[in-house]
Amino acid sequence: MTLLTVVGTPGERRVTMFARACVSYGLREPRIVPWSTVLRGQDIRLEPGTLVRIESPGEDAEADALLRGPGEPARTGGGAAWHTAFTAGVERVRRAVERTPGATLLADPGEIAVMFDKRLCHARLSAAGVPVPPALSGPVGGYAELRERMAETGWNRVFVKPAHGSSASGVVALQAAAGRVKAVTSAELTGGGLYNSLRVRSYENERDVAAIVDLLAPDGLHVERWFPKASVGGRTIDLRVVVVGGTPTHAVVRASRTPMTNLHLGGERGDLGAVVAGLGPEGWAKGLDACARAAACFPGSLSAGVDLMIGVDWHGVAIAEVNAFGDLLPRLTGLPGGAAEGLDTYEAQVAAILGRHAPGPGAAGLRPAVPVPVGGGSGG
Amino acid sequence: MDYAEFDDAVDALRDGVYAGLPIVHAPESDDEDPQGLPAPEAAAWRIGADWDEGDFESGFRHFVGTVDTTKVSALIVGGWGEPYEDDSSKVVGLLTEHADRFPALRSLFLGAMSCEECEISWIQQSDVTPLLAAFPLLERLEVRGGEGLLFPLVRHDNLRVLRCETGGLPASVVRGIGDSDLPALEYLELWLGVSNYGGDATVADLEAILSGERLPALRHLGLQDSEIQDEVAAAVASAPVVARLESLSLSMGALGDEGAEALLSGQPLTHLKRLDLHHHHLTDSMVDRVGAVLAGVKVDLSGQLGPDDEWRYVAVTE
Repeated sequence: MTLLTVVGTPGERRVTMFARACVSYGLREPRIVPWSTVLRGQDIRLEPGTLVRIESPGEDAEADALLRGPGEPARTGGGAAWHTAFTAGVERVRRAVERTPGATLLADPGEIAVMFDKRLCHARLSAAGVPVPPALSGPVGGYAELRERMAETGWNRVFVKPAHGSSASGVVALQAAAGRVKAVTSAELTGGGLYNSLRVRSYENERDVAAIVDLLAPDGLHVERWFPKASVGGRTIDLRVVVVGGTPTHAVVRASRTPMTNLHLGGERGDLGAVVAGLGPEGWAKGLDACARAAACFPGSLSAGVDLMIGVDWHGVAIAEVNAFGDLLPRLTGLPGGAAEGLDTYEAQVAAILGRHAPGPGAAGLRPAVPVPVGGGSGG
Repeated sequence: MDYAEFDDAVDALRDGVYAGLPIVHAPESDDEDPQGLPAPEAAAWRIGADWDEGDFESGFRHFVGTVDTTKVSALIVGGWGEPYEDDSSKVVGLLTEHADRFPALRSLFLGAMSCEECEISWIQQSDVTPLLAAFPLLERLEVRGGEGLLFPLVRHDNLRVLRCETGGLPASVVRGIGDSDLPALEYLELWLGVSNYGGDATVADLEAILSGERLPALRHLGLQDSEIQDEVAAAVASAPVVARLESLSLSMGALGDEGAEALLSGQPLTHLKRLDLHHHHLTDSMVDRVGAVLAGVKVDLSGQLGPDDEWRYVAVTE
């Protein structure tokens, strides 16, 4: 019997959906090691022989306080502290796996650390020849320095990303030309602080823009040239492509009226068929290949959520991000004709785990043993 | 007249149809095989330099050298490298210098960029009237972006369609268009925008247009996307030009009950075939009244946004 353990936040969808996928494959429900336990430094006890999956701590307030320190959960800062505490937690999990007989970690702590540092991630992708937008090298200390560097490079439009951010938190689409400046961001500047918001705002007063960048800078910034994205029906699009075991299995189009396409910021799932048609067979293959190559930079990771941008001209493609935990896409089934057709992202990963780790003959291409009703719009 | 091609989508016109012709990207380098191209007269050609190319001129010259442009009737100019930094005067200059190579040109769109490439209020335009002087047979001119846009008065005998898509249309442009002699103009659409983005035209600036004196052929008037849409509507309600229109658009703006009331209590509008008020802030009862009074008119009242005076906004600004 294959035993699984998940380091995650009990009750969160990431954990329950993965557990359901395990059960559908006839596995026992995974044991859960709460992130709060790990982050408090408590003893991590694992079953001998278990496979250990590391999940995102998600939005657990307790875990967040342990990672970033106490404070208002909606604040944007604290990314550097988060990264330090999180990688230390992952390391504790790794050591616990190491001292448990027969246990195997289904992740690579070093790769997770890189995926959660956009500067390192960009450098790794770039070195591997994966298409990425050009980025400023070296640290950017604040707004004044950012503008100097933009002037040096001749870039009028950039994406400023907190090095350790996720879910577009603190990301600023910045443009400056002809004496004007404009920042589009989900961060809300109030009372001298910066908070995550579900609404994307524009700031055109340079004092505000400078304050935002200066508040973000201490946690580290990654600055890329703005790669203008294609649009469909007046909405800017990009794709989240989940790569499982090296193969792009799931893709969802995210469409938005703002430069940020994240679904929680008002982005909508777009029409994949229209995007595939727009790219043509060669373009689509090129896009998926870029995603596979991006994920291949992290060979020790079972899956990666790769953000694929398509250029305005529908020819060029570029990778925006690689997310260690980019697989939370409820009810999305695998690409038609692909290895995970009909499977959601968690089922596809369980199948891949069994293919690699199950005792007995190779189990590649496994299907769920127990049919599981899939709520909502399945098959999309 | 077919209005189907005109809408408020700030679209980059990269595919689909323009001026009744399929949009085709002009060959801009030797890498592209000219054999696969359609006949020059069978396409609306899209030219322009994208953000990472930056050189409009070489692409344009390649196009002129590769395609028999003497047969080209429709041209879409997208971006010109860094349109938020460099204005469109170089593009206008190149087109006018090569006017003799485009004797069949009838439709021209200048600045077809999506907001991801360059937001509408960041597009740096320039004086576009040299295009009208250089192309006396042009029938359709569309311009996106009001920043830096100039339109000193002109006379043009063949222009039928004039559209300015902006997030803020300067008063000088509104006046320049109103003072121009455009005897063939059937369709005039102006996105007035907001003062924050240079849309400083007042109702007084619309006077020449609303009088219709120099627009004898006008059939459609669009005064849209305005933060003073109520005032515009009130002015339209008594404007002499309205009697000759078959179609009127006051859409995309901050239109409220006040403006609608003014429209209903002004001159009769029942002769219109079409009244476009989409994107509005009317109350339900006013929506019903407009529908009842103008029962014989095709009225577009979609996009009701709620009557809150504090939070009215226009459709396109940034």
